[in-house]
Amino acid sequence: MDSGSRSVPSMSGRERVMAALRREPVDRTPVCSPTSVATVELMDLVDAPFPEANQQPELMARLAATAYTELGFDTIMPVFTIIQDSSALGCKIQWEQKDNWPTVKMREPIWETPDDIRIPPDFLTHRDTRCVLDAITILKKEYGDEVAVIGKTMGPWSLGYHCMGVEPFLLMSLDDPGKTKLCLDRMKEATIQFGIAQVEAGADAITLPDHATGDLVSGEYYRRYLRELHIEFAEKIRIPIILHICGKTVDRMEYIAQTGMAAFHFDSKNEPRESVDIMKDRISLVGNINNPETLFSKGPEEVRQEVVKNLDAGVHMVGPECAIPLQTSIENLKEIPVAVRDWSREQAAGN
Amino acid sequence: MGLTVDLGRRIELVPMDPHFQDISIGLYRREGVAALEVLVHSYSRRPGTRERLEFIAETMTVLGGMEALPGEPLVLRFPAGSDLPVAARRVFLEACKRPTGEEVVPRPLTIFDKKSQSQVQVASLGEGLYEVTLEAEGERAARRSAHIAGGIVKLSGAGLVEGHPARVALPNRQSIDPLVGLLLVRALNVRAIVREQEAAASRGVLSAPSAQNN
Repeated sequence: MDSGSRSVPSMSGRERVMAALRREPVDRTPVCSPTSVATVELMDLVDAPFPEANQQPELMARLAATAYTELGFDTIMPVFTIIQDSSALGCKIQWEQKDNWPTVKMREPIWETPDDIRIPPDFLTHRDTRCVLDAITILKKEYGDEVAVIGKTMGPWSLGYHCMGVEPFLLMSLDDPGKTKLCLDRMKEATIQFGIAQVEAGADAITLPDHATGDLVSGEYYRRYLRELHIEFAEKIRIPIILHICGKTVDRMEYIAQTGMAAFHFDSKNEPRESVDIMKDRISLVGNINNPETLFSKGPEEVRQEVVKNLDAGVHMVGPECAIPLQTSIENLKEIPVAVRDWSREQAAGN
Repeated sequence: MGLTVDLGRRIELVPMDPHFQDISIGLYRREGVAALEVLVHSYSRRPGTRERLEFIAETMTVLGGMEALPGEPLVLRFPAGSDLPVAARRVFLEACKRPTGEEVVPRPLTIFDKKSQSQVQVASLGEGLYEVTLEAEGERAARRSAHIAGGIVKLSGAGLVEGHPARVALPNRQSIDPLVGLLLVRALNVRAIVREQEAAASRGVLSAPSAQNN
């Protein structure tokens, strides 16, 4: 991909992101967050605090828009949490307060066996999925020509944790692969339904978190349980999909590159250069500015260094590695697009 | 297009003010100025926010001995431009704990220490020097005095006087009695402060489902 070519005419944020997702030339590297960039200060700025901003579409859209209007990103991603789909499936949610993330009460699982798995008839009209769909519609109408609007649908591995509990689900994957595959196959319907609904609502791309994370699940596990499902998602959800998996994932990047997904949102535990080398331009990479140590705890200078490291490595879209901590400072987030623009100018001047 | 402005480097944040509509309030260190200047700011545009910020800034002057800049009631500095950002953060956090309208008075330079069952006295020796002493005597009391002085240093970013483990030296030879009185309360149990800071820092950080514990 051409990261910042003089020959590419000036692009809108949306054009830039969509081109990068196809690994086509761009006027500069897009600043993209496939996950949340909401902070408590941005919540105050637009009077859209958690938890209400995860339940009311107008508030969700207003808070999400600050990624563009205040931070200068090329994307808007309104699905801040990872619980919207699980809530609509029937999971109990701890909504928390403004300064903390809502979470699924995974110690109170709703399913035990494949036969328990049922997608409720109101799955797409439930308040917490409807909120996402309506927020996407609002954002598409207001900003659709300027920036890429990104949705989110959770993958079946993540839904397995949420709906069956982390430990029972992982133990089942060890003891009974057939049963596990059956569960995944049934839960994938929720992933597809919610994904397609967001396409219809106007999303330009979809983030698909599927938490086969490096700390608990091996690359071989990814190949055995998820690669084929992810290929199916890429075929059925007919807009670019950005797969998100936290942690060290270099051992599964080869398999991820084979899925046909548009991009992989990768964690700072993976070296950008090594990741780019593995992916060999078969799938775009997006990330991987460290959240807890850099964006949350350090200053703009350190943020800039990580941005440049990713740009130098040829990462296609730069942004935080995952949903940012809610207390992250605005000046650190604003530094990402500033550093990208400066780097692009320097590259152009050097050509 | 944007509403956010360049305020300098944020050095502290209260994400939810329990005394005013759960708004977030930040402390920003101004950049491009010679001495430490900090701004109390909130992005909230709710009516009453300005009054809340003014109360916090005013409380910082009383509790921490800081001074508001002329014509800028939300911008504060220590006397003589003392560079004590760690202390400014502590003063800010303590001020945010006070409800608007509460009467605020400077803390005295003395306190009862449950651990040693003794009164603690901090003597202002002038020119920014302070000495911690306990009413009790003996080696244990001396160790406790040094421990408390170390707590004041940790919470302020000031220094210990070489060869005097219970003496604290503020920068610029500038005494700030209210600040030392405020820090004395917390210096008795710095571990509690560290735990409080760690808990605050971990709040609002999203974990993968596999790393969540609920």
